[in-house]
Amino acid sequence: MNLTREQVRGWGFVAPALVWTLAFFVVPFVVMGAMSLASLDGRTLVWTPSFANYIELSEKAYLVRSIFVSLEITLTVTIVSVLLAYPLAWIIAFRIPPKWQRLALLLAVLPFWTSYVVRSYSWLLVLSREGIVNDVLMGLGLTGEPVTLASTRFATVTGFVHFFVMLLTLTIYANLVQLSPNYRRAAMDLGASTFQTFWHVILPLTLPGIMTGAFLTFVLCIGDYMTPHILGGNNELTVPQVIMLQLGRRADFPLASALAIILMGIVTLAYLGFARWLKLDRI
Amino acid sequence: MTAPVQLRGLNHFFGNFQALKDINLEIAAGEYITLLGPSGCGKTTLLSIMGGFIEPSEGAVLIGGKDTTRVPPARRPTTTVFQDYALFPHMTLRDNVAFGLRMAGANRRDRHRRADEMLALVGLEGGGAKRPHELSGGQRQRVALARALAVDPDVLLLDEPLGALDLKLRRAMQDELKSIQRRIGTTFVHVTHDQEEAMAIADRIVVMNAGRIEDAGPPARIYQKPASLFTAGFMGEMNRIPARRGDSGLETPFGSVNLASPEASSLILCLRPEAIRTTQAGFSIGPARVRDAAFFGTHVRAHFSPDAEPDFVLVAHLPPGRVPDQGEVMTLWADPDSISVFPQEN
Amino acid sequence: MRSLSWAYLVAAFGFIYLPVAALVLFSFQSGGLPVPPFEGPSLRWYADVIGDSDLMGALLNSLVVALFSGAVSVALGFCAAYGLARHHLPGSTLMRAVLIAPMTVSYLIVGLGLLIVLQRAGAGLSLWTVGIGHVVINLPLCFAIIYATMGAQQQNAERAARDLGANEAQVVLLVTVPMLAPAILAAFFLSVTFSWDEFIIAFLLSRFDVTLPVEIWSLLRSGLSPKLNAIGSLVFLISVAGVVALELLVFRKRQ
Repeated sequence: MNLTREQVRGWGFVAPALVWTLAFFVVPFVVMGAMSLASLDGRTLVWTPSFANYIELSEKAYLVRSIFVSLEITLTVTIVSVLLAYPLAWIIAFRIPPKWQRLALLLAVLPFWTSYVVRSYSWLLVLSREGIVNDVLMGLGLTGEPVTLASTRFATVTGFVHFFVMLLTLTIYANLVQLSPNYRRAAMDLGASTFQTFWHVILPLTLPGIMTGAFLTFVLCIGDYMTPHILGGNNELTVPQVIMLQLGRRADFPLASALAIILMGIVTLAYLGFARWLKLDRI
Repeated sequence: MTAPVQLRGLNHFFGNFQALKDINLEIAAGEYITLLGPSGCGKTTLLSIMGGFIEPSEGAVLIGGKDTTRVPPARRPTTTVFQDYALFPHMTLRDNVAFGLRMAGANRRDRHRRADEMLALVGLEGGGAKRPHELSGGQRQRVALARALAVDPDVLLLDEPLGALDLKLRRAMQDELKSIQRRIGTTFVHVTHDQEEAMAIADRIVVMNAGRIEDAGPPARIYQKPASLFTAGFMGEMNRIPARRGDSGLETPFGSVNLASPEASSLILCLRPEAIRTTQAGFSIGPARVRDAAFFGTHVRAHFSPDAEPDFVLVAHLPPGRVPDQGEVMTLWADPDSISVFPQEN
Repeated sequence: MRSLSWAYLVAAFGFIYLPVAALVLFSFQSGGLPVPPFEGPSLRWYADVIGDSDLMGALLNSLVVALFSGAVSVALGFCAAYGLARHHLPGSTLMRAVLIAPMTVSYLIVGLGLLIVLQRAGAGLSLWTVGIGHVVINLPLCFAIIYATMGAQQQNAERAARDLGANEAQVVLLVTVPMLAPAILAAFFLSVTFSWDEFIIAFLLSRFDVTLPVEIWSLLRSGLSPKLNAIGSLVFLISVAGVVALELLVFRKRQ
């Protein structure tokens, strides 16, 4: 039969990518899952499966705390970023003349292309004790002493929001401009104000896009190590920071793996939450 | 070049759905055939089987007397003009038209000369350096035609080639397609759902419905003497008059008429609107009251309530002299030769 | 309403550009700290960066890893997309899910998993292992972009080419690839950018030869320095040049 020959050819095309993903993603993931059930005796790994790591996670206060810190920061960042990005995308899409829109959008996301490591660092220039903000505040005589801005949760959130506002502006803009302009015209024609048009027509139509962007923000934010490490200081640690700490200090791979699995669990739960929201919206 | 096509006992299934049911058809070399039917009737599936894109579940396709049922598209003497034209957007018109010759190993000069010839044939001489996105829909259609004809196929398959064009352009392209086909003599098989297009263009129309061939024949015969109730209805507006067999021929609400009829308890008389007249003929409908009438240029279209059956509405095309007034009573006749009779379907 | 819009726009751009402006401005600082006051323009930190062989070596490493992993990701992604979009394969939904899966997992987790397996297998860490990790995260992206672009339009053109006598290789090389060129180019460019800028996997999976983000990271441990501003500004310049080049390239392609 011709059909099987066609299928063999199809398999041939898919196989390299599939083997790559299986070997370097699926297998490591499974091994990591097994690792999370192992334990460390001194410096040697003990492969007797137990939930000791997970029990330790639930008992040690700083480990439990890191999960809550991560969740709090991520939720704050996601909500603030959406609230700041939406008006910006709206203004670019509907207030700026079409021939300047592409340029405005390009400018709005240009700092996206600064180096990932340098991006957090550059906020240090702004927020540190000797940085620009304190320089301006003291110059204006608003404060005699420098205000502590760096090494705080505020700095971490600011660094994150800066990045994700750009990302979300891009996705929300793409959603806004692909709507037919006749939706807005029809709503206005029927007497809706700008706000009513936004609230009753544009927002519901762009909600799936917003939720997709928000989910992406959530996933990238909760797994990020660099931003809280550079801007957040040592007062409170996020889950990725704790994972890196386990790897560095004691090479405690089992505990790090268990934390990674927890992180995966949170992302999966978030996905289920967002997916349900999207589905409800579609009905 | 040209070749006959024979379709023998074709059946095709998509999963449990039977898309084609026992298709048998002989197409003569150089014939212009249209496959006509509503969407989902299987006409495009049948075309894809002739083109080699689908292998039929059962049956055989013979082109030029040779069994090509399992020959892939590249190696059969057919080419297809696709519904969306499928022009290669990254190639010039000349490269598009020359593509088939390039695949056959022709050298650059020969294939460019041939491509320019083909572009000239379809009325696009001098446009070889343009790209598809610079063209209008009608021009793209011409390029698709030129590309398919450039490899000199025995049979050209056209899948709703004029479907994307506006009405005026479609009528113009119909005439042009037909004249090109006359010039080169290739067998054309053309799928459409537009019965006017089919009548304008075809030597023979094949009417399809629900995977079957309902009727096949020259346009005039299909229109005037359809072989089935479906064909009668699909080919144009139709009055359906209930009837039954009686002692003095067929009995209708308007009286009886002498016509051969199939064996069935209840029958349908099919009568085209233009077959109804106000002068005497073999079948008398009797006096009827005008419900409304409108002027259509070539005719006056009127609805009547016959006195014999006031709830029944007849539609008639009358000569374009005078538009009758609403409520006016006219006496109507029809020529029995223009009537087709079918058993009532349930 | 209009003035409110403008005020918001200005504020938003101010927020977005504040750190970038600080970065670039203080890269020209003649003093030793990248904070106010600005002591006058100087290129000494740029000279310092250019003269730093570790940094330049890392930059070259990053470029090699980015181009290599980008090319492998696009090649694998294209083949998988072509296989799945054009053939009816049993289990294709599952295969698509497996191919996309790495996109939903944090880079940290991808890196950690690979690190564990590589250590278990006794494989040494090098730029190769970084490249392998980068292909893992970029492959789903390339696959998704190219798969999404393989619509009915291409399929019909492929059908037409086959109808006109093209064999499989000719169909792919003369029709599929050129028609998908914008998507393939975009996927390659995105992969290169992501790999070029990626830190955590590169950090976990490299040892002696490191990529640029890892090298910058180790410089950062010694605190604020205009040298970091200079290297940051340079990397920004290179990336922006890349974006503009792609914009012009794609723009010209469209015409």
